[in-house]
Amino acid sequence: MIFSIFFIFTCYANSYYVFIMATLALTAISGIGLNILLGLAGQVSFGHVGFYAIGAYTVAILTTAAKLDFWLALPLAIALSAVVGGLLALPALRLRGPYLAMVTIAFGFVVENGAAEWREVTGGQNGIMSVPTIKAFGTAFGERGVALLSIVLCAVLVLGFRRLSRSQWGAAMRAVKDSEVAAESVGLNPVAIKALAFALSAACAGLAGALFAPLSGFVTPSTFAFLQSILFVLVVIVGGAGTLGGPLVGAAIVVLLPEALAGLAEYRLLFFGALMLVVLWLAPEGIVGQVQKWMRRRKAAVLPTLEMLLSPAREKTPLTISNLSIAFGGVKAVTNVGFTARPGEVTSLIGPNGAGKTTVLNMLGGFYRPQAGQVRLGNENIAGMPTWRIARAGLARTYQTSQLFGSLTVLENLVIASPGRGSSGSGDEKAAEGLLCFVGYRGDMHARAADLAHVDRRLIEIARALATRPAVLLLDEPAAGLSRADKEALAALLGRIAQSGIAVLLVEHDMDIVMGISNHVVVLDAGTPIAEGTPQQVQQDPAVRKAYLGGIHERPLTRTSTNEGQTLLEVGKLEAGYGAEPVLKGIDLRVNDGELVAVLGANGAGKSTLMRALSGLHRPIAGSVKFENRHMEELSAHRVVAQGVVLVPEGRQVFPELSVLDNLRLGGYLRKEIPDSEVEALLERFPRLRERLRQRAGLLSGGEQQMLAIARGLMGRPKLLLLDEPSLGLAPTVIEDLFASLDRLRAEKVTILLVDQMAGLALALADRAYVIEGGRISASGSAAEIAADGALEKAYLGTQ
Amino acid sequence: MLVTTALITGLGLGSMYGLLALGFHVTYSVSATVNFAQGSSMMLGAVFAYVFTVRLGLPLFASVLISLSLCAAYGALVELLAVRPFARRGSNAWLMATVALGIVADNTVLFTFGKEPRGFQMAWAQGGVDVAGVHVSYLQIVIPAVGLLFAFLLSFFSNKTRQGKAMLAVVQNPEAARLMGINVPVVICGAYALSTAFAGAGGILIAPLFNVNADMGTVFGLKAFAVAILGGIGSAWGVMLAGLLFGVVEALITSFLGSTYTQILTFALVIVALALKPNGLFGKAEVKKV
Amino acid sequence: MFKRIVFLVVGILAAFPAFSQETIKIGLVTALSGQSAAAGEAITRGLQIAIDELNTAGGVLGRKFELVRRDDEATPAKGVLAARELVFKEKVTVLFGGLDTPVSVAIVPIMNEAKVPFMGPWAAGTPITKNGANPNFVFRVSAVDEIVDKAMLQYAQKNFNTKKPGMILINNPWGQSNEAGLKAALGAKGITAAGIEKFEGSDVDVVPQLTRLKAAGADTLFLVGNVGPSAQVVKSLDRMGWKVPIVSHWGPAGGRFTELAGPSAPSVHFVQTYSFFGNQRPVGTKVLKMLMAKYPDIKSAGDVTAAVGVANAYDAMHLVALAIKSAGSTDGEKLREGFYKIGSYDGLIKSYKSPFTPDNHDAINENDYVWTQFINNEILPVGMKK
Repeated sequence: MIFSIFFIFTCYANSYYVFIMATLALTAISGIGLNILLGLAGQVSFGHVGFYAIGAYTVAILTTAAKLDFWLALPLAIALSAVVGGLLALPALRLRGPYLAMVTIAFGFVVENGAAEWREVTGGQNGIMSVPTIKAFGTAFGERGVALLSIVLCAVLVLGFRRLSRSQWGAAMRAVKDSEVAAESVGLNPVAIKALAFALSAACAGLAGALFAPLSGFVTPSTFAFLQSILFVLVVIVGGAGTLGGPLVGAAIVVLLPEALAGLAEYRLLFFGALMLVVLWLAPEGIVGQVQKWMRRRKAAVLPTLEMLLSPAREKTPLTISNLSIAFGGVKAVTNVGFTARPGEVTSLIGPNGAGKTTVLNMLGGFYRPQAGQVRLGNENIAGMPTWRIARAGLARTYQTSQLFGSLTVLENLVIASPGRGSSGSGDEKAAEGLLCFVGYRGDMHARAADLAHVDRRLIEIARALATRPAVLLLDEPAAGLSRADKEALAALLGRIAQSGIAVLLVEHDMDIVMGISNHVVVLDAGTPIAEGTPQQVQQDPAVRKAYLGGIHERPLTRTSTNEGQTLLEVGKLEAGYGAEPVLKGIDLRVNDGELVAVLGANGAGKSTLMRALSGLHRPIAGSVKFENRHMEELSAHRVVAQGVVLVPEGRQVFPELSVLDNLRLGGYLRKEIPDSEVEALLERFPRLRERLRQRAGLLSGGEQQMLAIARGLMGRPKLLLLDEPSLGLAPTVIEDLFASLDRLRAEKVTILLVDQMAGLALALADRAYVIEGGRISASGSAAEIAADGALEKAYLGTQ
Repeated sequence: MLVTTALITGLGLGSMYGLLALGFHVTYSVSATVNFAQGSSMMLGAVFAYVFTVRLGLPLFASVLISLSLCAAYGALVELLAVRPFARRGSNAWLMATVALGIVADNTVLFTFGKEPRGFQMAWAQGGVDVAGVHVSYLQIVIPAVGLLFAFLLSFFSNKTRQGKAMLAVVQNPEAARLMGINVPVVICGAYALSTAFAGAGGILIAPLFNVNADMGTVFGLKAFAVAILGGIGSAWGVMLAGLLFGVVEALITSFLGSTYTQILTFALVIVALALKPNGLFGKAEVKKV
Repeated sequence: MFKRIVFLVVGILAAFPAFSQETIKIGLVTALSGQSAAAGEAITRGLQIAIDELNTAGGVLGRKFELVRRDDEATPAKGVLAARELVFKEKVTVLFGGLDTPVSVAIVPIMNEAKVPFMGPWAAGTPITKNGANPNFVFRVSAVDEIVDKAMLQYAQKNFNTKKPGMILINNPWGQSNEAGLKAALGAKGITAAGIEKFEGSDVDVVPQLTRLKAAGADTLFLVGNVGPSAQVVKSLDRMGWKVPIVSHWGPAGGRFTELAGPSAPSVHFVQTYSFFGNQRPVGTKVLKMLMAKYPDIKSAGDVTAAVGVANAYDAMHLVALAIKSAGSTDGEKLREGFYKIGSYDGLIKSYKSPFTPDNHDAINENDYVWTQFINNEILPVGMKK
């Protein structure tokens, strides 16, 4: 409709407007092309003018020197651009970010200068003048004709873009853009997809160029300068990358704005630059993107549908793992793991944090190549295959952090993963709708995945995994961050999936779920299997209890007296979270001067969120944090540090490229001058760091890194040290060392708030402790009281 | 003779590219963003120095100091206006925003400083010495010296000083850096200021050999970006070396194959080099994260 | 929906022009930003001074002139767009071009089709006026590359006894056009060039190119480049310590060549159509006075940079006014005839007598060129001061 108005306008407008319309259409065509690359496949090109030039010169040369008909020259020009685009893609696809940008820039320059120097063919700097206009059926088109043709082709390409973007290929491109990891895991080959995007994109730019030549009647190298490439990118970014209308709006702005400003003469560029900046500020996702986002917010969720039974097309095959091992940099992460996940059963892989569960999943899924052992899916050994082939072999997985294709719709996320990839007649779409019902998704099927609530993302990720028609489904902590009710629904869903004959392999921390639905539980600790059996057998296993609770009853509680020093930290009704459902739902907590207070709880209970909220890394939603009677819930992290509250974060977080000494010195960053004696004192305390003082911190072992992180924290002379999971992923002997150091710190009256999975060890050191479950304090008291309280065991191993 | 002249020309120009490329290096290694209009920063350095020295008659030393401070202020402005609003939201529109700001800067200078190129002669820069039968002006010695000095200072700064370490820390782990009490936004802003000051220094140094005009930085900025990428953007020395290499290769092509091929071949070589070494000639592979 | 808004905007824009039929609109499409901004400014000033003068005298046909300018950013694509806008939307009576030959060459067919006269005050490319169209609506008051190139060779042979010239040319369309012209001129006399080297406007150091020419045994250099790049050649020659005669196109006149090129600036002998230095005829004195009154940054003749641009544009504007007067109409086709009917005009560059004929649309010829050099900040005929 819109295009027909354009069309009619162009039929009657004067030469200037005709030319503007044509320029607009050609810019839009190039923009649509670049949108395929930038918007769909997520690759930036600052060299698109090169393809535009190739198209223009091909037509100009063929229709002048070779006297070829335009209609023959046109497909040749498009084909040549596409081929060059595909060739450029070969080196370009190995590159990322600025490196890719540079290659495309260089390409643009090579084309521009090549056109200027290859004089016999291109006419050199003065180019080719008097390119004949288009003729068809014996009549010359004239510029009005070319303009009309451009508008028609532009309209066709808009439709084409829509088809592409909704097709399997378009979805595949967006999938690659959003997450190459996830794309491979649903069986896509990113290299081929990006190359295709490059070629298509180049073909569009070539088409625009091919039309430009007869429209303007001339081609010269200076028409194809670098600035034009920038304008093409601007067209896409200002309009909204990845959106259908984006390039049109972008082209309208980039072409019409300078015309509207033409009267400013020499001041035009100045205003153009300034206005661009303003537009980018107002709509950083592009104008169309911004408008869509705004409209999306106003759409309500709809339609629940009938429940459908899942019918997997594959045979029921077990996943048999034997002797699986891998080491990173000499450190054994997983050793000799073996078990079988049977069809129709839920097999759970559990273990304390850092036990190697995710590493096992990564080997099964093909992200790590196991150094020893086999993974058999039926009769096929899939160990070491690339991810996308494993996915096609029938093994699907979900991730700890959601890896949905954020810019695809819910439905597209599933269709792209389906065996037919949405090709017509495959029925994939229908099946996908059924799957969404099956997993219990009740929202809008055409909403963008990125805009969904956390729980919906989890469900859709599972549905997407199912859409690949897997024999085996791997789930990495699907319950993390879900509310109680959602967790129960999830547990039921997993049970139903297993009943349909799929082998479900679950890695999960929520013991209620694990113990409730598992047929078989495998327990890992420090990379080795320590127990295997039914939930009951595992729960009774002393090795498991020790691994989880750190031998809660075997260790003497060193602290019996409770310290009632001055209150240092007081937390009141603290709420914090990342999505709709807060992780912390009103935490009250107090730390007195000189105390060591432990915060205990299962993974996902909210312990780390609490630490992040206290340290200023994550701003709380509500509640107060008072330190030495000053409010600090609003302070950002670096100012919290200045108050004397230092967090040693989970996962150590050393600066890997800096030496141990530099890491230590950065710990005292705010103090400017650090006497050597102080470093010396710390090295006395952590002697193993002394030997490694000049080494890069990234080369240290996990235990050494943890020592370093704590030492680095101490360099800040904290009044309160927050320790987040210091024992995470450390070998048992190292943990003993670590806790011995903490014990010394405690003896020196350093005030510490400690979060640790190793409840036994933590309690052995602590004056007092809090137990968090589901974002709330479920128990608090002296170490002895907590050790005796059932709340702790319940929090860690689930209800028995 | 041809080789010697090519080497002298190449090293002089190459260290210019290197200087500007150090600017890309500084911001990229702190924030993974760059000012795409780095050429404008260079131009500002030359224009400020010209205005303060020639029009206002300040002593050279003072005007260089003021110019570099103003460049640094402009750099901070670039970060605040064209990078932060986008980088914060994870949008890559800073690519375009820095270009837009560059257009504004270039055109503002065009209408305030003037449209004509102006000559910026410095008496001491005119003289020179003979090296192997080829005359070399003092500036052609000073520029590489300053380039190498800056590369040295930068790598000294980042490897030996508290602030430099803080900058490196920000790249490696922004969150942990905050926990050290490092004010990450200020560090990134500072990196932009430093980056622009480098470019400004390049502009001041090149001005006597070239001229001063509103458009002078465009081509330099682009070549410097190529150099930064070739050098692997992550290491100061790598970037500087890539600059020298680029300059020398350019001059050698001109000397032996003729100027017809200079642009085509140098940029084609950039493509080939990156195809063979996807992380730049002197860059390290980034760790693949799952 | 947005498409319709765009359409609406275009519609509103379209509604604008219809007012002020009273004035005669003179269009100018040239580079007003970027590297060539100074040239665009020079043309603007020449036109504006002439228009002010004409308007003070009551205009032509009882109507006053109005200058409408557009920036072509030195690219043909922008230039043709701007030309179309001025011709079809602003409905200018005459369109002036800028300094970039490719832009002008691209605009020529539009003008011949629209039947609106196109006047070139700068771009020297030969095919602009000799464009093969009949009727031809393109006129020029400026040098012509082809003729300048012949004159350069002639001058070099006469004054420097040139046997083996080397060319050092800016790598842009202007350079390439002169490369062709110089080659033709040399070919006509059976001379071959020692070498042809190109350099970029952004090149800081041209020593490698010059070293090649020196090694090839060049005894004279033919230089084609704008003022900045030309200065880079001179500075590079200085560094090499190579003293060689330099015969140049008019590039150095475009700015403060002495300031840019340093002490060796006078070694460049370049062609000019006009110089505001030295003894001026009354017209010259008058125009300089008007320039100083109107533009405060002009304090002496040395500040009239790109004097050729100012002078060509000034004379061209007056010739246009005379053509309109003799045609008695602003209609394109009548006006075209009007150009042939111009009698004599005592202009800045020379006294024109029937400057345009159906066979010759170039008002300036080889007899109007003067050879000049920079002495301090003044452009003086060669040899006037030693």
